[in-house]
Amino acid sequence: MKLSRVSAYFSLHARSYLRSRSALFFQIAFPIILILLFGAIFSGSSYSPSTLVIQNESPSSVSWGVVDAINSSGLFKVQLIPQNENLSNYIAANSVQAALLIPSNFTSNLYSGGLGFVVLKGHTNPTVASADYQTLNGILTQINFRASNTTQKLVLSSQVAIGNTGKTIDYYVPGLIGFTVLSTMFNMVYTVPNYRRERLFRQLSFSGLTKSEWITANMLFSFLMLVLSDVILVAIGIYVFGASLTLNVETILTSALIIFGGLFFFTSVGILAGLVSDNEETVSVVGNLVMFPMMFLSGVFFPLTFAPAYLVTISKFLPLTYFINSLISVLDYGNISTVAIQIVWLLLGSAILFAIAVKLFSWKQK
Amino acid sequence: MPETVIDVSNLVKSYSDLRAVDGISFSIKRGEVFSLLGPNGAGKTTTVEILEGVRNRTSGDVRVLNEDPEKSRTLTFKLGILPQDFSFIYNSTPKEALTFYKHTLRASGDIQEILEMVELGDKATTPFQKLSGGQKQKLGLALSLVNDPEVLFLDEPTSGLDPRARRNIWNVIKTLKERGKSILLTTHYLEEAELLADRVAIMNKGKIIDSGTPMEIVERHHEDDNLIIRGDGQVEKDLAEGGFQFERDGSYIKLRLKNIRDATSIINYLSEHKTKFEDFTLKRESLEDVFIRMVGEIEEDETE
Ligand SMILES: Nc1ncnc2c1ncn2[C@@H]1O[C@H](COP(=O)(O)OP(=O)(O)O)[C@@H](O)[C@H]1O
Ligand SMILES: [Mg+2]
Repeated sequence: MKLSRVSAYFSLHARSYLRSRSALFFQIAFPIILILLFGAIFSGSSYSPSTLVIQNESPSSVSWGVVDAINSSGLFKVQLIPQNENLSNYIAANSVQAALLIPSNFTSNLYSGGLGFVVLKGHTNPTVASADYQTLNGILTQINFRASNTTQKLVLSSQVAIGNTGKTIDYYVPGLIGFTVLSTMFNMVYTVPNYRRERLFRQLSFSGLTKSEWITANMLFSFLMLVLSDVILVAIGIYVFGASLTLNVETILTSALIIFGGLFFFTSVGILAGLVSDNEETVSVVGNLVMFPMMFLSGVFFPLTFAPAYLVTISKFLPLTYFINSLISVLDYGNISTVAIQIVWLLLGSAILFAIAVKLFSWKQK
Repeated sequence: MPETVIDVSNLVKSYSDLRAVDGISFSIKRGEVFSLLGPNGAGKTTTVEILEGVRNRTSGDVRVLNEDPEKSRTLTFKLGILPQDFSFIYNSTPKEALTFYKHTLRASGDIQEILEMVELGDKATTPFQKLSGGQKQKLGLALSLVNDPEVLFLDEPTSGLDPRARRNIWNVIKTLKERGKSILLTTHYLEEAELLADRVAIMNKGKIIDSGTPMEIVERHHEDDNLIIRGDGQVEKDLAEGGFQFERDGSYIKLRLKNIRDATSIINYLSEHKTKFEDFTLKRESLEDVFIRMVGEIEEDETE
């Protein structure tokens, strides 16, 4: 790897890229249009936490700890009802949407090494109930995670929308940043087969440039473009729509790290998709097959808290979900510590995928 | 004795069951323009790309500037390569392209000078896709010259170009030849090989059928020379009397010559008989005639 060659290609690439109107449109203008659109549509709207009725029939430090955790998540307005109340009657009488029962055997089960069951009751609207269920489940998994220290790494979709202000625009800023990161995939998805067909890798190799230098220069440029478009997104979010983001040195650097990891991840996906096919039409099908589910199910366009359970389940298999959730946690809540492990995993996974993609990607003719 | 810059022996390249290059050997001396001449699919590009280090060979020995292109990492810096179907990055200009190669190859040449040499000086800032076919090809040539290479590989440099653009490129190649560059030129245009090459190897179906100077090849493979006389029945009569074999072809009388000097005795004979004829020409097969017959023959063999 020679830095002089990287910078020579960076300059060549940047100039041709900046001369291309359509590339600039998709990199810079398109995300701006999206945020203006979403911002305008959803401005002022916010989601308020729903009320969760809790009946604790097994008072102990553990069960109250759970109640406390749910309450402090800010996701539910917790309303406690006495032990002697009939929960079913109470639900019916007050049209309660969601009520959580901590049954009397909860604590003893836990202490005897069993499972502590809790029961969610009283839903009228299945969509809302499943959202509540998901959220609640998420909180409980979090508690499990912290308590047992077991290696359940992928518990994090439950963190979506742990709200402070709960303004929709707060949600869209990280979502769209995720979208810009996802889009970098297409730099490679189209470039690789196109360069192959035009035999540009062969041509570039005559300059002594290596594939690693080529990828490095491309990614450096993509990263600069990402930073530029994401700074614009954040600025519009804050100054046009009044998003309240937690911006300080730590959250900005952490976000940059997440974006950097995402860049590695989606560049790798793009290279691999470009390798699957050497024809631009089929490759765009492959690209879209990867892109669309992620765009709609990873929380770019709507928060997963409101999604039906099965979509939430699917989203857990989409890597973008974790990038966006990390960004939400960092940018909206200034909360780095709870997603730190997730970020490390994302960076690690991206690095591994990147190594595989670079290995499989060859310039040489057979 | 000039030094050998390229040495190929028993080179074979197979693609699954196709032997695209089938055991060829040749060598090129410093300062020589050597042409691989052959129809499409002969295996020229495969050969050249193996020499450039772009492809790996199946077997055989290859030395370029005393290095094995498959193993060398530094050979690229010493070569100038114009690949077949040259293309470049969309939206990049010739000036940017040359600047890039100049930096990566750590060359010292003047970019504008190179652009002017290939007559592309006025297109320095035109995006690649807006260049004409000939201009694109000239850019390819310019890029191959950035590092002032000792050895040049030009793979079908004028393929698909109009006659004017072709002549431009030929002029550049002639200049390079004058500057003492060693050039491996592949082409399927006879005139190109005849005009530019010191030596030619005729390649077909992965094999070199013959090689030498264009003259030598014609000498070896040409059919009998012909003396063609334009004249009337009196000429025929006199020739018949003299015992010469001939055929009439329209207003021409064609005599096959075993030896080209026989033409003198025929003309002398006619002069002595005071036979009137309008004019005469000597016709010898060109490299093109020879080439077409050689390559054609082989193709016919194949179809049997
Ligand atoms: N990558 C490849 N895979 C399979 N066959 C190939 C490949 N490249 C070239 N060939 C075949 O090898 C033969 C020689 O090709 P090539 O070297 O390009 O010939 P030329 O340059 O003389 O036209 C052709 O039959 C061509 O179809
Ligand atoms: Mg060819």
